Amino acid sequence: MKKIAAYAGLVLLLVPVQTTLLPHVAIWDIKPDLGLVTAALIGVLVSELDGLLVGLAIGWILSLYSAGDLWLNLVTTAGAGLFAGLLAKQVAEITPTIVSIGLFVLSLVGGVLAAFSMKHATMTDTWWMVQFVVLPQACFDAAVGAALFWVLEQRLSLPRLGMLDRFS
Amino acid sequence: MFALLLAALLLFPGQSQGLLEYLDGPVGQVVRLPLEAVSSIDQGISSMWHHYVSLQQVADENRRLKQEMDWLRGENNQLREAAAATQRLTSLLQFKEQASPSMVAAQVIGRDSTNRYKSVILNKGESDGIRKDMGVVTPAGVVGRVVKTTGATAVVLLLTDPNNAIAGLIQRTRDEGIVEGVPQARARLKYIPMLSAVKEGDRVVTSGLVGGFPRGLAIGTITTIDREEGALFQTAELVLEVDVNRVEEVLVIQAVEGPPTEPTARSDGGAKP
Repeated sequence: MKKIAAYAGLVLLLVPVQTTLLPHVAIWDIKPDLGLVTAALIGVLVSELDGLLVGLAIGWILSLYSAGDLWLNLVTTAGAGLFAGLLAKQVAEITPTIVSIGLFVLSLVGGVLAAFSMKHATMTDTWWMVQFVVLPQACFDAAVGAALFWVLEQRLSLPRLGMLDRFS
Repeated sequence: MFALLLAALLLFPGQSQGLLEYLDGPVGQVVRLPLEAVSSIDQGISSMWHHYVSLQQVADENRRLKQEMDWLRGENNQLREAAAATQRLTSLLQFKEQASPSMVAAQVIGRDSTNRYKSVILNKGESDGIRKDMGVVTPAGVVGRVVKTTGATAVVLLLTDPNNAIAGLIQRTRDEGIVEGVPQARARLKYIPMLSAVKEGDRVVTSGLVGGFPRGLAIGTITTIDREEGALFQTAELVLEVDVNRVEEVLVIQAVEGPPTEPTARSDGGAKP
């Protein structure tokens, strides 16, 4: 119950942060996708199932405040949570570098999927989007995710509480 | 010795006074030196105290004045902002009165939660009568159209988004086309007939043929024209009238020349119907 309340609070907090605060700190009009980063981190630090479920919730809530299709947000965010959890299971030691690489790949895949799902964009537009939106955002997500993971690891000793428990 | 001197002063007052007057000069000179020295030191200390040490009060006053200045500066900024907002809202109100009675004013409270779409979030939603596909404008021109609504918010797909398409009309030649966004935060007018005499600098307005916008709202100005060999249509690049990235207040067109749009269930569809 406590965990559900915490996840609900986190999801609700993400909306104003992502839509109202982050545009002010956007670099070249690109802001990190905190929804994807959060889902992936939950997948890594807690479990792939938690990552999937929280990702679905985040994808749904954030899609209410985006012009994009619901399914795309659900697939990319929940997919990030699920795959991050599954990948984390295969890694003996999870470091910020590993997290940043994983997030870069997940964000890139989600972004490319979104770019190619645009119905009326030409190939030039799609390529421009991949180059100037998807790729910078993947870098941004990777950096933010790694930083958040490092902070959580330092402050909360999460590897001991979360990951090592899972391996034992 | 002291008693003798006292007796002499009392017994011979005139002589003693003359003697004392005689001694005044050299004694005064002698006393003057340390006096001046002490005075100078005192003045120095006093000056130092007042100018360097005893500045607590001045420092406090200075701090207070600086705070007051900061506060006044902040108030000045707020007043400037309020004046600018008043000006914007006044022009919105005037435009609303002139253009159509069925418009609702809304404020931009956020941007798209992803980087993939160019949209803004409004602080008005279904409870305020806003529905999907309604046009969104400012007094300067077209901003975009509503693509999603919740009870209290609405998502407006901006004119610069590639998924947006609005029927446009070249004001001078009366040729029609479709205005679409391009990813580089601009827009283009597509499907201009090859025989059209369109040229750079022509203004593009809404044609009013497709719902959401009345005829004649400013969209942008043509900057470049692309005429490809063998193509069926011309395409033109546009500079938009409204800087959609900086828009703060907008008007949502609820009805265009006719009955209001039928209320529908909460839309959760994507950018393109």
